[in-house]
Amino acid sequence: MAAEKAEIEKLKKECDGLRKQIETARKAVNDGDMKGASSGVESVGRVQLKKRKDLKGHLAKIYAMHWAADSRQMVSASQDGKLLIWDTHTGNKLVAVPLKSAWVMSVAFAPSGNLVASGGLDNMCTVYNVKAASPKTLRELDAHTGYLSCSRFLSDSEILTASGDTTCCLWDLETGKQKVIFTNHIGDCMSLALSPDQNCFISGACDSLAKLWDVREGACKQTFSGHTSDINAIAFFPSSNAIITGSDDTCCKMYDLRADQEVLHYQDSGLNAGVTSLALSSSGRLIFAGYDDFNCHIWDTLKGERVGVLSGHDNRVSCTGVPEDGLGVCTGSWDSFLKLWN
Amino acid sequence: MDEMDLPQMKKEVESLKYQLAFKREKSSKTVTDLVKWIEEGVPDDPFLNQELMKNNPWVEKGKCIIL
Repeated sequence: MAAEKAEIEKLKKECDGLRKQIETARKAVNDGDMKGASSGVESVGRVQLKKRKDLKGHLAKIYAMHWAADSRQMVSASQDGKLLIWDTHTGNKLVAVPLKSAWVMSVAFAPSGNLVASGGLDNMCTVYNVKAASPKTLRELDAHTGYLSCSRFLSDSEILTASGDTTCCLWDLETGKQKVIFTNHIGDCMSLALSPDQNCFISGACDSLAKLWDVREGACKQTFSGHTSDINAIAFFPSSNAIITGSDDTCCKMYDLRADQEVLHYQDSGLNAGVTSLALSSSGRLIFAGYDDFNCHIWDTLKGERVGVLSGHDNRVSCTGVPEDGLGVCTGSWDSFLKLWN
Repeated sequence: MDEMDLPQMKKEVESLKYQLAFKREKSSKTVTDLVKWIEEGVPDDPFLNQELMKNNPWVEKGKCIIL
């Protein structure tokens, strides 16, 4: 026992040493920051959006939403035990999927539009075929030992999940089995985002770290620190070279993947609420971040300034999403409504 | 970190060595590229170019819209 403890102590010291070396390597390439690079960039001015639609239908807190690839349909999940698929052009509900477990925390639309996935405190990710005459359960992915916080389809045959058991997982939907398990976080995984080319994904966790992973190899390629509390939201830049994170510490941060470090943070002394969700505009110039203060605040990504606010919800904004065509933003809230703005 | 057992600690060391080996690029270049990339996308960003929001799918057709 004592020999093992000594060995662990030795390895701990080795880890501390390696972390110091990583910080040194980061400092060595830190020869220019975002403030400097964007000083010549014109301000975007005030961004004022109008609320275009109120989507009413859920009877309890909405926890998650995800746009379909057609930028028209959208799926939302509420702890009233239902998933609702909406036609956002008409405001009509197209499909209602009753859930076995009402404690849902995540929802995702497959790029094909054929499948949706959801999960939560049941520790499972359930995949439904929503193109059938009535929604049919296709798979129940059951191996996580903690709640399902987020899921994203790569295709109709593969899905990534993030869990409160501190791992993420790549599943094969044909067999229902785990293909790759991603272990490295030491806190609950709260969110994930897939890179546009699907070769990598990023995860944010309660250990206040964001990690970049190789989807096929399972290795953690890079780790980003700086936040001082749970990271609840994470997104890839459309260019794939940077990521944005949102945390309970009330900040959002931009991490540059090529320089392997934080290059800007988004924080305001007047904002004391945690960030729950975030989405980027199509160019990446605007960040739409949902907060516990019932608002969605809009940030100028390059200048680090707040340029607008979407107010109207009567409770925490729990989810935010911009469709692929970039023509607007959807916010979902614990007040049970979804709102469309542009 | 505090409760990791021996196999987990060994994995953590391996992971950190792998992450240390990453080829970092100078931020003066990477950040400049990022700014350039975003600026190039702004004209096609509907939130920043009112022209693109003209056929707004979420607004009732057939009414007067105050732009």
